[in-house]
Amino acid sequence: MQFICTQPVVVVEDSDEDFDTFQTAVKSAGLSNKIFRATSGGSCLELLRSTKNRLACRPAFVLMDLNTYGIDGRDALEIIKADSELKVLPVVVFSTSASPKDLAFCYRAGANAYHVKPVRYDDHLHLLHNVFRYWLGNVATLGGYKGLL
Amino acid sequence: MTVLDTSPLASASTSLLAPQIAYYPENYPYSIKRHGLTLANCDSEPVRTPGCVQSHGVVLVLRLADLSILQASDNAKVVLQQSAIKLLGQPISAVIGLEGEHRLQKLIAAQSTDRNPLYLLTLPAAQVNIGALDVTVHTIDGMVIVELEATGHTDAANPDYYALVKNTVSKLQASGSLQQFCNTVADEIRELTGLDRVMIHKFHADGHGEIFAESKQENLSSWLGQHYPAKDLPQPARDIFTKTWIRPVLDVSDPLAELHPLINPDTGKSLDMTYCALRGVSIMYSEYLLNMKVTSALTLSIRRNNDLWGLITCHHYDGPKHLSYQVRAACEFLAQVVSLQHHAAEERENLVYRLKLENIHQQLVAEAVQKDNLAAMTQNTLSLLDGIEAGGAAIYYLDRWWCIGNTPTQLELKGLGEWLTNARFSSGSSLRYATDHLVKDYPPAAAFAQVASGLLALPLSQRRRHLMLWFRPETLQTLNWRGNPHEEITVTGSNGPRLTPRRSFELFVESVHQRSLPWKPVEFDAATKLRLSVIELVVDRSEQLAVLNTDLERSNEELDAFAYVASHDLKEPLRGIHKYAYQLLEDATLGDGENRRKLDGLVRLTLRMDSLLDSLLYFSRVGRADLVLETADLNDVLAEAIEMVGSRTTGNPSEIMAPRRLPIVQCNRVWSREILVNLLSNALKYTNKTKYQIEVGYIQAEENHPRPGCPAGLEDEMIYYVADDGIGIEEKHFMQIFKLFKRLHGKDAYGGGTGAGLTIVRKLIERHHGQIWINSQPGQGATFYFTLSSKKAN
Repeated sequence: MQFICTQPVVVVEDSDEDFDTFQTAVKSAGLSNKIFRATSGGSCLELLRSTKNRLACRPAFVLMDLNTYGIDGRDALEIIKADSELKVLPVVVFSTSASPKDLAFCYRAGANAYHVKPVRYDDHLHLLHNVFRYWLGNVATLGGYKGLL
Repeated sequence: MTVLDTSPLASASTSLLAPQIAYYPENYPYSIKRHGLTLANCDSEPVRTPGCVQSHGVVLVLRLADLSILQASDNAKVVLQQSAIKLLGQPISAVIGLEGEHRLQKLIAAQSTDRNPLYLLTLPAAQVNIGALDVTVHTIDGMVIVELEATGHTDAANPDYYALVKNTVSKLQASGSLQQFCNTVADEIRELTGLDRVMIHKFHADGHGEIFAESKQENLSSWLGQHYPAKDLPQPARDIFTKTWIRPVLDVSDPLAELHPLINPDTGKSLDMTYCALRGVSIMYSEYLLNMKVTSALTLSIRRNNDLWGLITCHHYDGPKHLSYQVRAACEFLAQVVSLQHHAAEERENLVYRLKLENIHQQLVAEAVQKDNLAAMTQNTLSLLDGIEAGGAAIYYLDRWWCIGNTPTQLELKGLGEWLTNARFSSGSSLRYATDHLVKDYPPAAAFAQVASGLLALPLSQRRRHLMLWFRPETLQTLNWRGNPHEEITVTGSNGPRLTPRRSFELFVESVHQRSLPWKPVEFDAATKLRLSVIELVVDRSEQLAVLNTDLERSNEELDAFAYVASHDLKEPLRGIHKYAYQLLEDATLGDGENRRKLDGLVRLTLRMDSLLDSLLYFSRVGRADLVLETADLNDVLAEAIEMVGSRTTGNPSEIMAPRRLPIVQCNRVWSREILVNLLSNALKYTNKTKYQIEVGYIQAEENHPRPGCPAGLEDEMIYYVADDGIGIEEKHFMQIFKLFKRLHGKDAYGGGTGAGLTIVRKLIERHHGQIWINSQPGQGATFYFTLSSKKAN
């Protein structure tokens, strides 16, 4: 796989199993980008805010689980997309829920994509590979450009 | 009837005594004697720290560490013949002797004396001027408080208080009702103390008090049944009575003795005298008692759990009445027993009332059924008024009001009925309205507040506006006027007439203006039960069904929401299990056949569970989403559906055909496609043939065509069908196939599947207000018929 963007990826995931799958996907895709993990929407926001002035830490995209403890992924998505600086970050929702209500909520809040986590393991890995290929290969993001955030 | 040490008479503003301080801080050297109280500041009276004691006894405050005297009341000179000032700094042995001090040390070490006065010893008469003294002790905030007061007896043997109290307790246990119970308590306390009048006060839910039971000397007029406003017993007094059981006032006109010094030198604060039997009496309270010519008083608390349920107040009119420590201890014990047992007495009373109500209501229903007329409940010798305690009752039935007892007029009832039906019972979910203050919710009720300040109302039939009502008169009208306080001879002290029963009663009257006695839970229950038995008499079948349907709809909605949440939350752990099984399978060596087989099974099961959950999720979503209708050409919808099931037919010489063009109809396009997809794939699955035919068609309302299995009433509807020539099913399974996750075949036979397809189809059709049924015989193929909208629903 060819990855053009080398900025880090932020993963919001409170399930260790799912994060393990994510790491397997990173390894098997040959990704060398840094991975920052947050286990809740709240800690994701902290992470983004504390690193927003460090160019090397600016994420290529945020992979956002919706159902976390505390401030959850929905809240975090809304806050990011309402924040004048953070809203340029692509947020890719990655949730178990296929509910039309959740989809509508996320797209209305400004999510850049919405994927339903499959139960089948190889489907799961395959989907993650596609996400990497798209967001780190095909898409031009503001990730690496100084002064634009 | 003001009964306690404080009174928040905030409305008056006479200023008689100085200084005027709104609130006394705890380090302010306050003394009732010096600072007194006026009607303006009595709200903030420091009841717990009055700085004074009743002068028939002495209070000594000791330092816990060395038992030396820090404070002494200035009547020590009279009672102990030692001046208070000289006592300060001395060890307690200077008063009670070395042996006494030793006993005190042992008592404090061995017993729980914190905020709990205990008897220490009796000082013999020889040592002091006014006879033998009982010494009681309690500790508080690092201080030891020693109270010394006359024993009240000489050397005569004490009566056996234990036997007296034991006798009383067994009498209490035998009393049936709460009233009987309280009467017994009053009699027994009067017997025990020898005081002239004993009253049991009960506090109602709104805080106002009622003299509920009384025992008195014959020549006194009765105060039984009198009410007084909640304000008469201010919060500080209520607080004290949730902490202490007993409050004796030996001599109402006692000049009081001041503590010396007022501020405790160790703590820098006024002494907390909450637990002192000798605590000085507030001026308000003593003036109030004096106004009623009371000379001596005793108050006990009645609690339920930690709340003040009521009080026992005792008045004496014939000079100071001394009660010895033993008598007081017996009273205190009785107060505790009463607190523990009056609940049971009340429950017994409730039970008796409940049984009576049920019995009477049963008879009423039986009569109404016999006469087939609900109005019988207001017309016979036995009526609604024999049950729930009320001044009047009314039923709206057969388009008119049927009344008994004191009720508003027909015209007033008409307005009230309309208000109830439109404002109170309009949602259909509210099944009862009860108030003791109808005017508050329904201002026109002011016109008939005398007969109906309280209302208990139940809807019997929403559509026909049938109602059943009970009325309670204004509390004022129900008061027991025996012992009218207006006739009581009282005097008026320096603070004016507020501190008299007459004014207190007037204030109470104001507070219960347009109010009735509250309805009891037992009455709610009885009324609700009666409603259920009566409802069948007045409500027609269709209305009953409508009610049941609403309930059913609601529970279905809840079930859908539950299914959604449950299946959604099950997915996450399922994904984890699947993943681990998958990874184990990858790691298993090729030769490990047995384990690989098991892991294969595990992976397969997780995927099956996944598809079951998906079906459940989809099913619940269909249940919750709104039906949105649009105009759709069913030929297009069918074409899409065939395309979607296409993968199954690829390379198959089978045929799906519609013998004539399908109509254009109002339906939900996506759901209709889903219906066809499911029915088609069902037809494609359940066949053994290699070449088969599926027919999709319709039967118009007036068309001459057989409609096998068609439910009654649907013959004149547009009926759609999907017919196959597959394996068919037995008639006994016709209902089962629509059940969720129900499969007639092994889970891998006929292409597998979750068994949710037909359930979803039925749900989609029902959401369209349609119905689905099947006609089939084994080996003869199956035809699914359905309608998409019912004329009735439209």
